[in-house]
Amino acid sequence: MLSDRERERYKRQIMLFGNEGQEKLKKAHIFVAGAGGLGSPVSYYLAVAGVGTLTVVDMDTVDQTNLNRQILHTDRDIGKKKTVSAMEKLTAVNPDIRINAIDARIDEDNVAELIGNADGIVDAMDNYPVRYLLNQVAIAKKIPLFHGAIRGFYGQATTIIPGKTPCLKCIFPKAPPQEVFPVVGATAGVIGTIQATEVLKVLLGSGDLLTGRILVWDGLAGRAEEIYAERIPCCPACGIGGTEMPAGEKKK
Amino acid sequence: MTAKLRFFAKFRELLGTDIPVPVPEGSTILSLVRDTAWKNKEGYDAIFDDKGNFHEFVIVMRNGKRVEHGDAAAARVADGDEIAVFPPVAGG
Repeated sequence: MLSDRERERYKRQIMLFGNEGQEKLKKAHIFVAGAGGLGSPVSYYLAVAGVGTLTVVDMDTVDQTNLNRQILHTDRDIGKKKTVSAMEKLTAVNPDIRINAIDARIDEDNVAELIGNADGIVDAMDNYPVRYLLNQVAIAKKIPLFHGAIRGFYGQATTIIPGKTPCLKCIFPKAPPQEVFPVVGATAGVIGTIQATEVLKVLLGSGDLLTGRILVWDGLAGRAEEIYAERIPCCPACGIGGTEMPAGEKKK
Repeated sequence: MTAKLRFFAKFRELLGTDIPVPVPEGSTILSLVRDTAWKNKEGYDAIFDDKGNFHEFVIVMRNGKRVEHGDAAAARVADGDEIAVFPPVAGG
């Protein structure tokens, strides 16, 4: 049940999807992997929308070079753990939701346990090895994965529904090289808010999801385009005979 | 015969996009992209390694379907084909 305060807080969106929609959001638990450039807008918008439980995982400390894009963190937070800073901001914007901020490095041994019984995983990571782990757990737990990635003025986003859509490995079988990537905060804003919108649509069961296609944002050209993607039957992650599985999940 | 080449993100910056390309007899996806990218060395190097193969992370699509790199050297380009070349990004 929504409190009077919640009904007031969410009034302008209850106009869109009613008290029932708002209660669906309240009951939901979303896992946000990363409290950086993408994790900032994603967790802010999920928090203010009233997603009942947010788990945010990050292992880093706030650095001055983060501040051009990671809007969860401010100048005063330099040197603080990102999870502490994230907890403060998200609790301040919405005290009516539950925030679990976990200071951890996501690896194959802990990824399944960290995600726990979440209803969806937001990929706000900055590297493909961890993205592939999130993909594996999404497939194993049959929960959606909301992918986003950015570089410079460019970004990409897609929504993965295990068993129905191509998985991350069907779409991107090989990781691009790791680098210290150039980026402007506005690009993280564009892609992160697309991811947050997709999460809300899945939780509400409304709209057409960004599935089976990759939205490609080119900020320099001022264009958003789509690239279609298909399931790969022999995909090592989700295909027939797929064998890749994080160790933490295998032990169960 | 004409095909259309679409480059995305960094590749578009270096090479342009929606490029109509005449397709010489016997052209394959690999040869057509190579010949088009050749005009800009930086663009070429962004897409191909020093052996002239696609970098392994580059996504190549024909008419909306992904083409495996191993097939791109043999896949003949047909009139009206749309070939898209896309570099996934990694940052967050």
